[in-house]
Amino acid sequence: MLNMRLAQPEHLIDLNDLIELDRVIDHGEWVEVGALTRHHRVATAPEIRQGVPLLADAAATIGHYAIRQRGTLGGSLVQADPAAQLPLVAVTLGADVMVRSRRGRRTVAAAEFLRAIMSVDLAGDELVTGVCFPRQPDGERWAFDLFSRRHGDFAIVAVALTLQLDDAGAIVALRLGVGGVGPVPMRLTAVEQRAVGLVPDGDTILDLARNAAAAITPEDDPLVPAKYRRDLVETLTARALRRVTADWPEVTT
Amino acid sequence: MTAPVTLSLAVNGAVHEVTVPPRKLLSDVLREDLGLTGTHVGCEHGVCGACTILIDGQPARACLTFAVQMEGHDLTTIEAVSEGDRLSPLQQALHQVHGLQCGFCTPGIIMTVTAYLRDHPDPDEVEIRDLLSGNLCRCTGYQNIVKAVIRAAAEIRARAPA
Amino acid sequence: MSVAAKFSQIGKPLPRREDRRFLLGKGRYLDDIVPPGVAQVCFLRAPHAHARIVGIDSTAACALPGVIGVFTGRDLAEWTTPLRLAPPIEGLHPVEMTTLPIDKVRFHGDPVAVVVARDRYVAEDAVDLIEVAYEPLPCVADTASALAPGAARVDESLPDNLVSHQSFSAGDLAARRAEAARVIETTFDLQRHTHVPLETRGCMADWDEGREHLTMQIGTQVPHPLRGQLAGRLGLSESQVTVISPDVGGAFGQKIALYREELAVAALSRHLGQPLHWREDRAENLMAASHARETRCVTRAAVRGDGRILGLELELVEDFGAYCFYPANYMARVIAMILTGPYRIADYSFDVKVVLTNKCGNGPMRAPMAITSWVMDGTLDAVARELGLDAVEVRRINALGPGDLPYTMATGEVLADITSRETLEGAVSAIDISAFRARQARARDEGRLVGLGLCTVVESTTYGSQFYKAAGIPGSGHEAAWVRIEPSGAVNASVGLMGTGQGYETPLAQAVAEGLGVSAETVTVHMGHTDIAPYGMGSRGARGATAGGGTLYLCARKAQEKVLAIAAGMLSLNDARGLRLRDGHVERRLDDDWQPTGLGLKDIAQRAYLDPTALPDKVAPGLDVSLTYDPPPMTYSNATHACEVEIDKFTGRIDIRRYLVAEDCGTVINPLVVEGQQHGAVAMGLSGALFEQVIYDETGQNLSATLADYLVATATELPKVEIIPMHTPNRSTPAGIKGMAEGGIMGAIGVIANAVNDALAPLGVTATRMPLSPQYIRALVREADENQERTGEA
Repeated sequence: MLNMRLAQPEHLIDLNDLIELDRVIDHGEWVEVGALTRHHRVATAPEIRQGVPLLADAAATIGHYAIRQRGTLGGSLVQADPAAQLPLVAVTLGADVMVRSRRGRRTVAAAEFLRAIMSVDLAGDELVTGVCFPRQPDGERWAFDLFSRRHGDFAIVAVALTLQLDDAGAIVALRLGVGGVGPVPMRLTAVEQRAVGLVPDGDTILDLARNAAAAITPEDDPLVPAKYRRDLVETLTARALRRVTADWPEVTT
Repeated sequence: MTAPVTLSLAVNGAVHEVTVPPRKLLSDVLREDLGLTGTHVGCEHGVCGACTILIDGQPARACLTFAVQMEGHDLTTIEAVSEGDRLSPLQQALHQVHGLQCGFCTPGIIMTVTAYLRDHPDPDEVEIRDLLSGNLCRCTGYQNIVKAVIRAAAEIRARAPA
Repeated sequence: MSVAAKFSQIGKPLPRREDRRFLLGKGRYLDDIVPPGVAQVCFLRAPHAHARIVGIDSTAACALPGVIGVFTGRDLAEWTTPLRLAPPIEGLHPVEMTTLPIDKVRFHGDPVAVVVARDRYVAEDAVDLIEVAYEPLPCVADTASALAPGAARVDESLPDNLVSHQSFSAGDLAARRAEAARVIETTFDLQRHTHVPLETRGCMADWDEGREHLTMQIGTQVPHPLRGQLAGRLGLSESQVTVISPDVGGAFGQKIALYREELAVAALSRHLGQPLHWREDRAENLMAASHARETRCVTRAAVRGDGRILGLELELVEDFGAYCFYPANYMARVIAMILTGPYRIADYSFDVKVVLTNKCGNGPMRAPMAITSWVMDGTLDAVARELGLDAVEVRRINALGPGDLPYTMATGEVLADITSRETLEGAVSAIDISAFRARQARARDEGRLVGLGLCTVVESTTYGSQFYKAAGIPGSGHEAAWVRIEPSGAVNASVGLMGTGQGYETPLAQAVAEGLGVSAETVTVHMGHTDIAPYGMGSRGARGATAGGGTLYLCARKAQEKVLAIAAGMLSLNDARGLRLRDGHVERRLDDDWQPTGLGLKDIAQRAYLDPTALPDKVAPGLDVSLTYDPPPMTYSNATHACEVEIDKFTGRIDIRRYLVAEDCGTVINPLVVEGQQHGAVAMGLSGALFEQVIYDETGQNLSATLADYLVATATELPKVEIIPMHTPNRSTPAGIKGMAEGGIMGAIGVIANAVNDALAPLGVTATRMPLSPQYIRALVREADENQERTGEA
């Protein structure tokens, strides 16, 4: 933005040296990730891999190796690119964004924090200090998938989901988030509700994926027709559901 | 905002004092103020990877960083990769298997791969291609770069004390 | 490898000598050698595709501290002459352009004003402060609207936007159509590309007021032609201009023309009496340096039932952009001239239109004729599909075989010493087509889309002067060299080429070493300095090896003759018969065996320079030999590419499963360097076919001015390329060299399209335009599904 002279701020504050914001704290029910935690650490930290594996998997797909060494969780959330990985995961998991200013602290749900394309609920004197991700329950399955023209590019469409099954193999809970199809990432709650109680076999998966595609209203742009995004949502959702069902590795406990 | 500030930068093991405007990019300061012209600028928007250096040992784009941000950090550039005139195993492998052509992207690739091999000594081809995807090369088609990285990794492993 | 056997220096895979400095970060690219404190130049660029310049107010910019001056097209017109391109060629309109636009801008990114300031940051600040009043004009953003009646004229000195129109016909196309079982029409749309060298354009001009001399440091492929342009347009003699090319971070055809920005920098250095440095940023490079391709071809093949092509018609339309830095017919004409390439087609016609639009001007990009092999082999595949024939058999029935050579193409071009039939069979057997077809049948049963493509390339590498003349393109194909053996026996040599990353320093030293009879390590080749190198035509096309290497080889042979003449005198022989120089030592043939004479190159050189009175009669002092050489009208190399793909029909993603090239590029000077060129060319071809696209909207706004928008393939998108060497020497060129480095692009573009269309064949849809983006492929699959539904309902 600055190099292209699209933004010419009067003041620019470098936060990189606030190393106390580069942190991962396991609070049990939730995992707190500091705003300055680099993508590489988000992808590899044991507390995240164990407690919020969807977040770790998503972070590993961001950009390229060198980019993941510098990019931060807070930076990604505040930039609020509609196709970015971390805002999508934050919305899908119902994470809380922690905000602080001289006036005090507040916490805002990720889905409310992200207001529109590249626009967030943050005042000029406020700073995002971290994000609290609810711990994914034991036995929950998860998948993150995206489609981009080239490896490491911003996604055209990204899908994040978690799934819990009961002993009979029926869906207890599905969380399904999609990015790249609107101004902000969104949960497809109608599809999530429809899924409950269903046994995710081939036909059910196809039906849920079709419903996901029908639930979004992307816009045409010069390069990517709305139809194409819809097709991708269907395909990525179906593949992610297959990955967490038929293709889910059997783990002996 | 444009009044110059004086900073000290730790680059390649030496500390340099420079007086530069706060908006001056790290890549420009390295090249113009410190004469370290091996770090190339190919796009100034973080995509091409030619300006990749190491900040505290990790690869980063020098064109997306202001020099004023770098006080207290340890910078490494291409000029510090060889031991004097002796090419590093990666540099040597790139030479032997023709892993560079115009050479403009090469320093950025060397910095990225050098850091990676330090932490991942035995990468496979898929992993190497994934790693290289953050650096554009318009000449080689990457095939011989991949070959060089495999060869360099083997050489580094062979040299490492058992 | 019988070719290499007779050579001792040519054919060795020597690692390149320029590598060391690049690997150490000690390369000397332009920005690395600009002294501190040199003033910087920055251009203001037009935000409109087409607009009158009503007024330019630079008061605020000039008042900014650190600004040395702000200049406009009107200022530069006082110090430079316009570029006039008016070769006497039928169908091509003469055109003229000023150094910077004066009255109107013609594309988004056109330079409007230029700032000189103490540093780049201040210069950019000043650019933002210049106020330009524009009066927008209707714009033509594609060839259809540019050719429509009453369309806005890009160049108002022309009657319309059709800047060049040429046609040709050989044989009797009407008769062939009448005989034909079918006439099959096929369309090929190759999108607008740009070169994306990692190092953008830039230059440093330094006018020496005392000597009245301009030194221009600039990464260029063609130092001497550039010097001529600079001198001419600045009103200087060529002895007042020195062009020096430092290391160049890639060019791919983008660094041939003298661009307006570069001329402006030179003129301003002279005007201001101080050195100036300009480096364009990436956005400028993508938007305003030079674009390429954007050519639409339609072929109509009159065919027999067995797939034999009786007659072929080509219609070509190129979107040339707003300015002509090259004669507008140049690239398109070559495509039309060599289209039929590896096939025997006597009845052939073409109609070639080149159209001006409000976009950045086109220029040659590595393989200016890139579309050719896609059009030809794509036409054959269309014939096979339409007639239900095997694609390989259709190629075979039309292919030129060894017995047909030399073959005079319908356009009059002569093909000799090519092996396109052999590389076709080589690729077909290496890829194992029958095994593939079995795999493909199984995959199709599972509903998967897999395909195999073939594409045979006959690559025009080296243009001799006679080709230019016969083709109606202005230009010379000659090259020039000198070889100088210094008194110590060290060998210096020079040639008019300038490398931009290929690695000339090593293979050209090998060519000299071979011709002279020394080892390559002892030879240094100097390039890129017009006061040092002889006047040659520089690096373009794939002429480096044949024209450059060939000229150096011949020159070095001439030098060897002189060395041996001196040696003969020193050995008290009447003449040099039975002598040779090998590895720097003079050897004498005795009883069918080469024996040492005890004389080395240094002994000869000492005698030549320091004891000239002892030289044989008629042998002049010194060992300084020069030579110029004009290659045959055209030298061709050839290759067949084969590629296997699988398409994900749900996302449209193309996965390249296997890629191979069977190639004959004649005598290979350095196999390592040639392999690098093969990889690089295939990569650039695939990147173009799958990803790259300069995008303009209908108002002429460029939407692809960052590397996040203009997509270039990375390491994860490109396949491993298998190479099958099938080299045979050319009998008419020095050392049998054929040249290469562009054919890989031609083959890659053609083969990936052919493979994709083979994969799509069961769906009854065909990809006819590039890039083969997932959106496009998915749209084709959807179209097929909809067709099927419609048929199902009916």
